[in-house]
Amino acid sequence: MSITIAVAGKGGTGKTAISALLAALLAKESPPVLAVDGDPATNLHQALGLPLDDETNTIGGIRELMEEKITRAEFAPGTDKQAWLDARIFEGLVESVGLDFLAMGRSESQGCYCAVNHMLRYVLDKLAGNYQYVVIDNEAGMEHISRQTTRDVDVLLIISDPTARGISAAVRTRKLIDDLRTNVGQIYLVVNRLAGDISPQMGDLIAGAGLDLLVTIPEDPNMASLETEGRPLTELPPDSPLRRAVVDIAAKTGLLAGKPRT
Amino acid sequence: MSEFHVDMGPQYEGEAIRREDVQVEFGGPKIPHKFELVTLKGPDEVEHEKIEVIGPDIKDIEEGASSPLAILIDVAGEELEKDMEPVLERRIHMYSNYIEGFWHVAQRDDIWIRLSKSAFKKGLNSLREIGEMLIFLFTSELDIIEKISVTLITDEEKIKELLPHALEVYGARDARARELSDEDVDEFYGCILCQAFAPTHICFITPDRMANCGAISWFDGRAAYKLDPEGPVFAVPKGELIDAARGEYSGVNLAAKDKSLGSVERVYLYSSFGYPHTSCGCFQSICFYIPEVDAFGLVNRDFVGETVMGLPFSRMAGETSGGRQVEGSCGMGLEYLRSPKFFQADGGFGRMVWMPKDIKERYRDAIPEDLYDKIATEEDVKNTDELAKFLERVGHPWVKGEVEIPD
Repeated sequence: MSITIAVAGKGGTGKTAISALLAALLAKESPPVLAVDGDPATNLHQALGLPLDDETNTIGGIRELMEEKITRAEFAPGTDKQAWLDARIFEGLVESVGLDFLAMGRSESQGCYCAVNHMLRYVLDKLAGNYQYVVIDNEAGMEHISRQTTRDVDVLLIISDPTARGISAAVRTRKLIDDLRTNVGQIYLVVNRLAGDISPQMGDLIAGAGLDLLVTIPEDPNMASLETEGRPLTELPPDSPLRRAVVDIAAKTGLLAGKPRT
Repeated sequence: MSEFHVDMGPQYEGEAIRREDVQVEFGGPKIPHKFELVTLKGPDEVEHEKIEVIGPDIKDIEEGASSPLAILIDVAGEELEKDMEPVLERRIHMYSNYIEGFWHVAQRDDIWIRLSKSAFKKGLNSLREIGEMLIFLFTSELDIIEKISVTLITDEEKIKELLPHALEVYGARDARARELSDEDVDEFYGCILCQAFAPTHICFITPDRMANCGAISWFDGRAAYKLDPEGPVFAVPKGELIDAARGEYSGVNLAAKDKSLGSVERVYLYSSFGYPHTSCGCFQSICFYIPEVDAFGLVNRDFVGETVMGLPFSRMAGETSGGRQVEGSCGMGLEYLRSPKFFQADGGFGRMVWMPKDIKERYRDAIPEDLYDKIATEEDVKNTDELAKFLERVGHPWVKGEVEIPD
C-alpha cells in the first residue's frame, strides 16, 4: 500500500517547489515515487527536471478524448474501453529513475460521465498501488483529490506565504477537507518565505483555525537564479533552506521511516 | 509449475513494470506494428502445444529496447464457437498479467507488453517459455480448449504482412457485434454507477440498448462484470419475455425492483410510455414527447439554444433526470438511435419529427431514407406551431397515419 502525500496551497507559495523536492527526496530514499501534477497552473515536471513531450497527454486530455470518442460513437463494439484507457494513461506517464510523473490537466469537462470517471478512478488507483509514495501537487481547491480518486491521503501539507491573506486561504483549504469523501490523516501547515518569526497575530490566526504548524521556511536565496535560468529545483544545493526544510518535513511526519506518524 | 523460471498467478495482475525495470518492451506507442489474435480452427488444423517463435528472441534484444510483436493463438475444441474468439483473446491480457514480471496492456493492434529485468535474471529469456506459460494457463483454466498452439512473431516484416488479416478479423467481429440483438443473449447487464446522483436509477444495458451515458455497451457491461463481479455493473438474467413489443422482461423487472429498493417495479426497454426506463443525470440525449403533434423529438447534451419545445437541454434534463420514470421523456445513449428496437412500441423512427441538425447528419445512416428530409431541425422550425405546419407540408408519414404501432 503506497503512502499518499498531498501538497496544497495558492500559487506563489512555493508548494510546487516543496512537492518536487519532497518527491525527489522520497525517490532517492525509498523508490519508486509517483509525482502527480494536480494544478494545471503550475509545472511540476519542470521543477523535477522532467520532459513533457506532449502537453495534452494529461488525465484531463485523455478523459476528453474518451468522451469525444464516445460522443462520436468511435469505439468499435469489440474494443474494451477500460483496456483502452489503461494504455492511454500509461502513455501519459513520464517515466524516470525512481520516479514517474503524471499530469492531471484540466479537471472540468463538458459532459457528465460517471462511467468514464469510474473507469479513470479504477486505473489511477491500480497505477498508484505500484509506488511506495504518491506525491500530489494540488490546487488550493483540492479538486483532483475529491474527484479523481478514492484514495485516502496520509499526509496533507498546506503551504502558505506569511501573509494574513495566505493564512486565510490555508484555513479555507483546511475546511474543505471535511467536505471531501477522502479520508485525510495528518494535516499540517507550512509557512514559506518567512522573514524572522511568526508574528503573534499570525500565531493567533493559525491556532484559532486549529492548524498545526509543522515548519517555517525562510526565503531561499538559491531559488531565484534557478527559476530565472529555468533549471530544475532538484538542483538546489543540499544546504539550501528549502531543501533542508523538506528533509525536516519528511522527518517530522515520519515519512522517511516508511510510514507516517499517526 | 516448477518447470518455469518465474511464478504465475492472479496476485501478479496489478503489477506494473516501470521503464527503468524493463528488460524488453513489445508493442506500445513506439511500435507501429503489433497485434494479438485468437483463431478457432478445426481439430486437424491445430498441432497441440506447438510453439513457434519467428524473429529475434528476448535474449537477442538489447536491454531496454522496444520490439514489434504478434501473438497468434490457434485453438480447437468441440464446444468452442467462433463468437468465443474475442473472449479468449481478452484472456491473453489476463493470463499474461498472471506471469510474474510480465505486463500486458490494451488489446488487438494496440498491445503493449513489458518483461522485467528481474524476471529475465531469473531465467525467463525466451518467448518460447512465454508461449509455454500461456498454453499452461489457457489449458488449465479452460477445459473447453482441447488443442492450442502459439506463434510469437517479432520479425517486423512478417508482422506487417499479417496485420491486415488481423484488422479484417477485428472488423468482421465488430460487424457481427453490431448485429447482435436482445434475442441472441441470455443475460443483460445493469449499472448503478449513477445512483450517487439518482438513487433509484438503474441503467439496463442490452445489445439493443446502450447505457444512457453512451459509455457502456452490452460488451463493456460484460467485460466490467467479469472484471469486478461485486462492482457497480451487474448481470441481469433476462428471465421471461413478458411483452416483446415494449421490451418487458421478468429478469429486468426483478433487478429494477431489487436495485431501486422497490421504487421501480416494471421497465419497458422499448417504450417511452407506461413504464419507461429511468434517467440518471449522465444521459447523452433526451427523447421527448411533443403533445401538439403527438410525436417525438430528440435533443443531445451538446445542443446549444432552445429546442422546438422552447426549452434548452439543461431545463429538459432537469425534468427528466433523477431516477424517475417520466412518461414521454427518456434519457438515452445516442447509439440507441441505431437500434432496430429504438422505441419500437411507440412507432420508432417513424414517429421522430425533430432533431438537432448535427445529430441528424451524424446518424444519417440510421434514419430511414424516405424519412430523412421529413424530420425538422432547429433550422426548419422554431416552435411546435411551425413544426405542425412543417410536418403537414413535407407529408411526414406519422402525420399521414402511415406508421404502424405494434401491439
